[in-house]
Amino acid sequence: MTVEKNIRFFSVAALYNKIKTMKIHNMTIKGVTMQRLMELLKKPWFLGSLVVVFVAVVLWNIPIEKRKYGLSQGSLVTDYTGLLPQRVERIVKAENRQDLQRIVKEANKDGQKISVAGLQHSQGGHTYYKDGVVLDMRTFNRILEIDEQQKTIRVEAGASWEDVQEAIQPHGLALKVTQSQSIFTIGGSLSVNAHGRDIRFGSMAETVKEMTLLTPSGEIKTITRDDPDDWMKYVFGGYGLFGVILDVTLELTENDIYTIHTEQLKTDQYETYFNELLTHRNTAMHYARVSVAPSTFLDEMVVVNYDYTEKQDHKTVLKKEQGVRLSKIALDVGRQGGALEDLFWGTQKLYIGSLDGKEITRNNVMRSESTFMEYTKPGRVEVLQEFFVPIHAYGDYINDLKQIIPSNDRSEDFKVHNITVRYAAKDEVTTLNYAKEDMLGLVVLIQHGLKEDEIANATTLIQNWTRLTLEHGGTYYLPYYRYQTKKQFRDSYPGWEEFVEEKLRKDPNSVFQNMFYEHYLK
Amino acid sequence: MNSKSVRYLPLVVTVGQVVIFPYYIIWLKQVSLTFTLFAWFFATFSFSAAWGYRIYQTKKNKEQSYVFIIYAGMGIVYVLIGLIKNSYEYLPYIVLPLQVTLGLLQGYFRAWHSEQDTYHLHAVHHYLIVGFMMIGFSFTRIISPVVFIAIFGLLLCLCGFWDFIRRGKLSEPKKV
Repeated sequence: MTVEKNIRFFSVAALYNKIKTMKIHNMTIKGVTMQRLMELLKKPWFLGSLVVVFVAVVLWNIPIEKRKYGLSQGSLVTDYTGLLPQRVERIVKAENRQDLQRIVKEANKDGQKISVAGLQHSQGGHTYYKDGVVLDMRTFNRILEIDEQQKTIRVEAGASWEDVQEAIQPHGLALKVTQSQSIFTIGGSLSVNAHGRDIRFGSMAETVKEMTLLTPSGEIKTITRDDPDDWMKYVFGGYGLFGVILDVTLELTENDIYTIHTEQLKTDQYETYFNELLTHRNTAMHYARVSVAPSTFLDEMVVVNYDYTEKQDHKTVLKKEQGVRLSKIALDVGRQGGALEDLFWGTQKLYIGSLDGKEITRNNVMRSESTFMEYTKPGRVEVLQEFFVPIHAYGDYINDLKQIIPSNDRSEDFKVHNITVRYAAKDEVTTLNYAKEDMLGLVVLIQHGLKEDEIANATTLIQNWTRLTLEHGGTYYLPYYRYQTKKQFRDSYPGWEEFVEEKLRKDPNSVFQNMFYEHYLK
Repeated sequence: MNSKSVRYLPLVVTVGQVVIFPYYIIWLKQVSLTFTLFAWFFATFSFSAAWGYRIYQTKKNKEQSYVFIIYAGMGIVYVLIGLIKNSYEYLPYIVLPLQVTLGLLQGYFRAWHSEQDTYHLHAVHHYLIVGFMMIGFSFTRIISPVVFIAIFGLLLCLCGFWDFIRRGKLSEPKKV
């Protein structure tokens, strides 16, 4: 026993010594490491490198989106451009249907005016009204039902397209028509009857199967396509003037995989090219860019087609914003105008060319980057305008446009930074209808100053541009800032009288109001 | 230091930097957009100061420390801050190199100052002067911190110029 005890004692002692030795060894290693680190910290080159690395990290993380706009803007509300600041009485966060219903009914009694706001990307005061109540619909964003068999989704109107994509992507489904970015609310996009890159499914309004509407009298109604009162005709593209869209049932399609096909064209080839694409090609989605660089101004285009592959996807994750910083730098270079705009156009062609042959899912085509376009400079603003021309008029229209817009805007106050072209299918649903036939929409990114004379100059140029568009049988889009005259509005939208009559019939107390209505229709 | 005026320059610079600090902070917060960026700008300054400090400490020929360039350099940075206008979009990108430059120069200056024989005396004096000055400023309404920062920048440039003039006539003292 004594021998055994001795053996055990020595084993424990040996183990203890071993652990102690290991600890000392570890401490020695730690000590040496620490000593080396301290030595390193004494070297100026090391500290210099630390500064360089840290500066690079900070540079990369300086936020791109800096502006605050919309309902969070203190006592005055604005929308995306901030051009129409206005005082409102209060902002109500939409919590439930009954509350919204109560607010609308009370407004009918006490003469209060109501506007409806989503993510406020519209640019003409469509989401607020002087001394009115703003219904902030962003919290009204639940996905209510997905029917995989019927390929439909029922969703509350304050949800964004991104929310919808996240819900339907695991089911292998995708939207039929939406904008090329997913940052808008469903209610907002339907209120402007938006359009995007799809060239096969018609207008956005046509993809709505059913809608729940809070009418101007405070009733909650379920509206279908065969509704005898034609609510859809006025609510879609109705700019929030015919009540509150509470939820909609949208038709969906498969989340197809497409092959990207890119080409460079001359502007005068595009009309023929697009007609051929529409009738013969195996293309599901399409958009194009027109050069606004001085040396190729309105002469060159690049087209991007998304061709069917017969493959569908259930797994590919939704892409996040990519390459935002580089895109922002490139756009900022282009913003300088002159030779740098030529450089920017060259870079765009190279980048778009590099996409040729790659595959992408339908959902991912419908969620392009947008943050890189952020622009914050005191005294200046960047706005969008969109002009629609019939497909057959495109070539002549672009030629005539060269007489109106300067090719090199480097030293001009009014600058055109980008033009993209999208297809807008003939719309037979809405009253304020921008596509009376199949149209091409030119989405234009414009920058100008905010001094009185600078705004006046921009107004003149945009009115001239609109006049030219009307001469070619076209129209302009209404969600943007109202540079156009009332006459131009009426010429573009001959259905305006019917719209106003129906507004007075459906909303006799004029409960739903906004700055857009006040400017154009009152 | 044989010349009284040159002898007091480091004290003027040290006091000035501490006094200007609250105004500089206000300006930096305005341009930082978020607290995270504000903190990172500070970290950048701090790392650069460590670098500047070490550059002076490892310098072989400390007789030629060119402190007048350091004064002028810091002055130019502060004046530049005063001149920045209407560049909101790019301001964070401009602030970053300014923070590096300022940190580097202040670190270098601090290391140099700490090796001067007047350093400890200046330390006590600067605390007292800053205390009294801040009481004084509490009764003064500064409308724009940027103007104040730019004025301090000009003062630093003058210090640099003065030091440069005197430098030709006087030899730099060593720490005893």
